[in-house]
Amino acid sequence: MKIKSSVRYQFNGDRLAPQKGTMRPSGGDSPPPLCPRFQIPHRGRGIDIPPRPFQRRTSASPASADPFRGTVAAAEGDPGRGKYEETQARVFIAALPHTARLGWTESALIAGARDVGVSPAIVGSIPRKDAALVEVIKSRFASPIIDQRDELKNELKDLTLSDRLTKLIRIRLEMQAPYIAKWPQALSIQAQPANLPNNFKQRAELIDEIWHAAGDSGSDFDWYLKRTILGGIYSTTEVYMLTDHSPDFRDTWVFLDRRVKDAFDLQKTVQEAAYLAEAVGAGVGNTVKGFMAGIFPGSK
Amino acid sequence: MRLLSVRVLPLFSRHLHPLALPINTLRSVLHTLRSRAETNLQFRRRKNHRLRDYRGFTEVSEEEKRKLVGNVFSSVASKYDLMNDLTSVGLHRLWKDRLISKLGPFPGMKHLDVAGGTGDIAFRVLESIRGVGHKVMHDSFVETEGQTQIFICDINPNMLNIGKKRAIERGYTNSSYLHFVEGDAEALSFEGGSMDGYTIGFGIRNVTHIEKALAEAYRVLKKGGRFLCLELSHFEFPIFKELYDYYSFSIIPVMGELVAGDKESYQYLVESIRQFPKQDVFAQMIVDAGFQSVEYENLVGGVVAIHSGLKL
Repeated sequence: MKIKSSVRYQFNGDRLAPQKGTMRPSGGDSPPPLCPRFQIPHRGRGIDIPPRPFQRRTSASPASADPFRGTVAAAEGDPGRGKYEETQARVFIAALPHTARLGWTESALIAGARDVGVSPAIVGSIPRKDAALVEVIKSRFASPIIDQRDELKNELKDLTLSDRLTKLIRIRLEMQAPYIAKWPQALSIQAQPANLPNNFKQRAELIDEIWHAAGDSGSDFDWYLKRTILGGIYSTTEVYMLTDHSPDFRDTWVFLDRRVKDAFDLQKTVQEAAYLAEAVGAGVGNTVKGFMAGIFPGSK
Repeated sequence: MRLLSVRVLPLFSRHLHPLALPINTLRSVLHTLRSRAETNLQFRRRKNHRLRDYRGFTEVSEEEKRKLVGNVFSSVASKYDLMNDLTSVGLHRLWKDRLISKLGPFPGMKHLDVAGGTGDIAFRVLESIRGVGHKVMHDSFVETEGQTQIFICDINPNMLNIGKKRAIERGYTNSSYLHFVEGDAEALSFEGGSMDGYTIGFGIRNVTHIEKALAEAYRVLKKGGRFLCLELSHFEFPIFKELYDYYSFSIIPVMGELVAGDKESYQYLVESIRQFPKQDVFAQMIVDAGFQSVEYENLVGGVVAIHSGLKL
């Protein structure tokens, strides 16, 4: 029997919400090569975490983080291998209703495992239990945008860009509305240093998905700017929602609408900003030249 | 001391260049360590055919092994914990803590600790469940606390008695949590699918048929149950390996003689560590028993390894 690496679980939407449809067409997808720092690998629907190669794990003291680990699994085609991930996914999903009472903790996972009919000992095998729960649930929340893009397209066709963005963000935030009571805890778990990278990745994925569903016309200059701005709007709206007690979160949607309109309503805003910057730059340049000429007379 | 005195003499010979002294010292010490360790191992291997029964070559050897293991633990039982502390320089406590943190015990758990006679691991599980983290539980979990059951199974009654004494010393007199059971790891008396967790700490290398013990572990675990095995394993770092071999073959049996009055048992212990399969091979055996998501973690570079598997 071959010894191969085993994939524990993945954070993207693929594993939990089986997707229909194929990879996104490549037009306007890839980020411009200008800023390699901000390269987010973009392969269709999500960021795949590659399977871990077979590694040895050693640690000088038991309490330290382990850089290596030996993993053995059955051969790749074995149905048992998918069973672990499937069972784990079911435990996470079953744990969600319990978070209202128990918070985003191991206890919720244990309750979820009991609901699924599996021994709660399985929770012990999940690394970073509460962070994993938050990540998995967040990727599930994003699934309406990913899965139902075709249905959404019809709904969104007749709206302006800013209305489309508002609607998409609203769809996503409404998914987490029932769990808003303990959502601050989820956010604080994600803010822990160990969990931040995954948090950023998921956020970037989500914003990307929203832009594509809104019909990103993708021009080189705007790619990063759009995603950054929308990411900012999303985060502030999410935080606003935490303290919003209006019925059905009416105030949040008004807030969201205003923010999106401010940022994206005028299609030409970005281009205008560029012209403005040029003009200002030119003006500043003239001023500097004049200033230098004043100091060093005779210099060009 | 004899070892060093034999090799020291050439260092003071006038025929050697002064700068060659340190290099020669190191080389000769290493050479001596290596050859001595190898000699020990070969000598032991030739002498003790019973150690080859791991693969089940002959019935007679297996019987001998069972008797030998029985004798070993009967004679070392009273000094077992002290010898653990001495030979591992107190590290065994950290290893067991790591095992428990990997296990992740929860209230209401049914846990089986096999070959855990003196109760180290079982007590840690109990303390972990009672620990602070679970005090913030809500009412729904309070009723399950009464159902936490930890079974300590050991083939040797002397070890169990030591465990019972330690339990009383620590105040675990409430018998609803801890149960001491005499039994064989290859033929457990528990029902199938009744345990949430199964741990075996420093015990599986003493089992005659490891595959049977793994199969039994698979049988008694519930769906979703975890198997964890803490065991002394193979240490491969090139230079430190010599030191480790020297420590194992020359120092540990002497310690055993001084403290527990039993050199043979500790020599058996060290040899059985070398005879035990390597980490990868043992992990494959666990997969063959039916477990999923099998992995191992080396502690102290491989001196100790924690193998874990999940039953689904």
